[in-house]
Amino acid sequence: MAFKIRALGYSLADVFPARQYEVTYALSLDGHGGDVRVRSFLPASDERQLVSDERDASSGLSLAVGVDGPNRLATWSGADVPDGAAIRHVFRVIPRAVSYAIPADLTVPDTVPTSAAVWLRPEEEIQVDAPEIAEALGSIGADRGPLLARLQRIHAFTSGLTPRPFKGTTDALTALRLREASCNGKSRLFVALARAAGIPARLVGGLVLESGSKRTSHQWVEAYVAGHWVPFCPTNGHFAELPERYLTLYRGDEVLFHHTADVNFDYRFETRSELVPSARAKASFTFLDVWGLFDRLKLPFSLLRTILMLPVGALLTVLFRNVVGMPTFGTFLPALLAAAAGETGAAFGVVAVLVVVASVATARWAMSRLELLHSPTLAILLAAVVFTLIATTLAAERLGIPELTRVTLFPIAVLAICAERFYLSLTEHGARTAGKELAGTLVVMLGCYVVMNSLALQVLVIGFPEVLFLVIAANVYLGRWIGMRLSEYRRFRGLLAGDPP
Amino acid sequence: MSPLPRLAALRRRGRALLAARERVYGINRRNLELVYPNNARRDYPLADDKLLAKARFEAAGVPVPRTLAVCDGLFAVPGVVEALRGRGGFVVKPANGSGGGGIVVVGPWLPERGGWRRAGGRELAPAELTRHLADLVFGVHSNQLEDRAFVEERVEPHPLFAGLWADGLCDVRVITMHGAPVVSMIRVPTAESGGRANLHQGGLGIAVDLETGRTFRALHRGCAVERHPESGAPLLGLDLPAWPELLDVARRAAGAVPLGYLGVDVVVDHVRGPLVLEINARPGLEIQNVVGAGLGDALARGAPPLAAAAAAAAAAAERGAT
Repeated sequence: MAFKIRALGYSLADVFPARQYEVTYALSLDGHGGDVRVRSFLPASDERQLVSDERDASSGLSLAVGVDGPNRLATWSGADVPDGAAIRHVFRVIPRAVSYAIPADLTVPDTVPTSAAVWLRPEEEIQVDAPEIAEALGSIGADRGPLLARLQRIHAFTSGLTPRPFKGTTDALTALRLREASCNGKSRLFVALARAAGIPARLVGGLVLESGSKRTSHQWVEAYVAGHWVPFCPTNGHFAELPERYLTLYRGDEVLFHHTADVNFDYRFETRSELVPSARAKASFTFLDVWGLFDRLKLPFSLLRTILMLPVGALLTVLFRNVVGMPTFGTFLPALLAAAAGETGAAFGVVAVLVVVASVATARWAMSRLELLHSPTLAILLAAVVFTLIATTLAAERLGIPELTRVTLFPIAVLAICAERFYLSLTEHGARTAGKELAGTLVVMLGCYVVMNSLALQVLVIGFPEVLFLVIAANVYLGRWIGMRLSEYRRFRGLLAGDPP
Repeated sequence: MSPLPRLAALRRRGRALLAARERVYGINRRNLELVYPNNARRDYPLADDKLLAKARFEAAGVPVPRTLAVCDGLFAVPGVVEALRGRGGFVVKPANGSGGGGIVVVGPWLPERGGWRRAGGRELAPAELTRHLADLVFGVHSNQLEDRAFVEERVEPHPLFAGLWADGLCDVRVITMHGAPVVSMIRVPTAESGGRANLHQGGLGIAVDLETGRTFRALHRGCAVERHPESGAPLLGLDLPAWPELLDVARRAAGAVPLGYLGVDVVVDHVRGPLVLEINARPGLEIQNVVGAGLGDALARGAPPLAAAAAAAAAAAERGAT
């Protein structure tokens, strides 16, 4: 492991999962049977955000994507577009928080590259050369001194403006005069002041990602500092930094949506998020690269992580059995059940186990009078499990519990073995023992579920399959461990206290 | 109480707990220190298969219940049933059964009915016995594909044991280490335990002093009792019949198999005296609660088993000499 970190540049920090957002542009319009065009921006991947899995599902409109300066421009167009047309554009993005340190002695440069110099010019709503801007710049002391101090003053001034809920576009001068503004007003004023101070600056438009559906977009600012575009958000008080959930859609003073007039245009942004392995982890794990192998073989990532996490789950089961003294049905079963529950969720995993155990125990009881041999009995029980799962799915659909219909995803053999163990225990040791073992199995299964579904652990084991040697070492230690199980302290408490019951 | 003495008391209790922990065996320690070093896995069948064990015992002259018949295949079943017709007082068992599954205790032959009376009163027709033997041979009660079934003479327990449980057998479990008895108890089935001698299912455990053969503690569902929870019969201070012979039988049984750590189950027949019923290579740990002491104490007491045996032999020689 040490070798991989030192020589191959693996980073342990890479094992922590990243939050991935799935964002949907949900646009609707009434085309009245005529020609319609809608223009907007799509996010591009850069060092702050990784965009993937982009797909478009739009009724009757075709999408053309082009590049316009720093931005990706999307144009949906169609002829004879009916009323109630919908555009759904979906993409996934893993954004990343960034933070810059600006040296305190850096001065405002006398000349800037041409590519940055365009961001010094006045624009219609960013009135850089207005006397009021120059006056304001002087009064806050941002017209002199090093670059960092100027930016701090501009940021403090624009952040300090009275906030206002979004009410359309506010230009820089209006924001200055009113001393109040929403995000776009504050940002325009920031840009105007920065440009007036000789620092190239530009507006950035995008979304603040949060799960749910909303219409609000957001604007913030980037300033050109020593060859880097450094972000600022005067609205939410971020100085030379951005939190993870900012998604950049376009740069410059643009409007997010242009569309044909009179089409009753409406839009929403729908966002969902989930944890995924960080992309850097995948890229950095190169030696004994099982992950890449599975990718080449087109095997799903979920299969890989399930396989690799099984020994970890079994170790947990061993801990529960030999250290806690909690009885379970075998050593593998809780881990197998937990792996299976990864598809359905823990709660429905428990429900599936209970339903199947109940039905199989009943079937087995009904068959016990026939005194059949072991193998044919098991084969019949398997059929009983299938019937039960189908019946449960049917019932779940009737009752409108969509999650429960997924119990059919549970590996049938695992459930059947679990139920069989329960019945054997029931007949050999009685209801008490069987119930204890079932409860123990469910508890350990939940424990395994939590551990085995930890993305950080999964990525750790995938990046460093050697971790499994540590699992083996732990098992060797436990295999030689003669300590009393926790449950035995209770069982022999009389003896241990020196006064037997 | 000021915190300081309380802390001291807590420390004392902690130390006492640690010391006690040395003497009490948990399952992990039993397996690693007692079972694995002393019992080779390849010898387990000798403990699990009652017929294999019995063959060893008979060869070594250890008294066992007489075997009347063995079925080692379906073909043998009709002959066995024919041979049993007309005689009563036998028990049918699977060789590899566990927990008493598949055992049928048969009483007297009823000539006018052409069948037997079972323990408990129901009748057993020859056809039913045939079917049961076939089931046993097919491994229905053994969790394996095939097994052997055997028929042995029914043991009539000594009155002292019959007084503890009238409907069947109580056995004496003797834990032995390299042939030396370490600790022992009587396991008594109850109505509550469904006629099984399992302590976890409501059976009764009575500790027997190794030196004297006298009962000194009884445990029922984890609580010390002095009287039988169902019949009210006194349980403590009973002197077991033929105790030295019983220990001797246990010793010899342990010596007849290559297993070092054993639970030997002995029953006392009213005529033949102590007979070995079966042995267990992984005897349970509840016996510690029954006798009220950890196995560590008992093992330490009998620590040099060879020395103890030598001393016993010397004492016997001395008695012979005088």
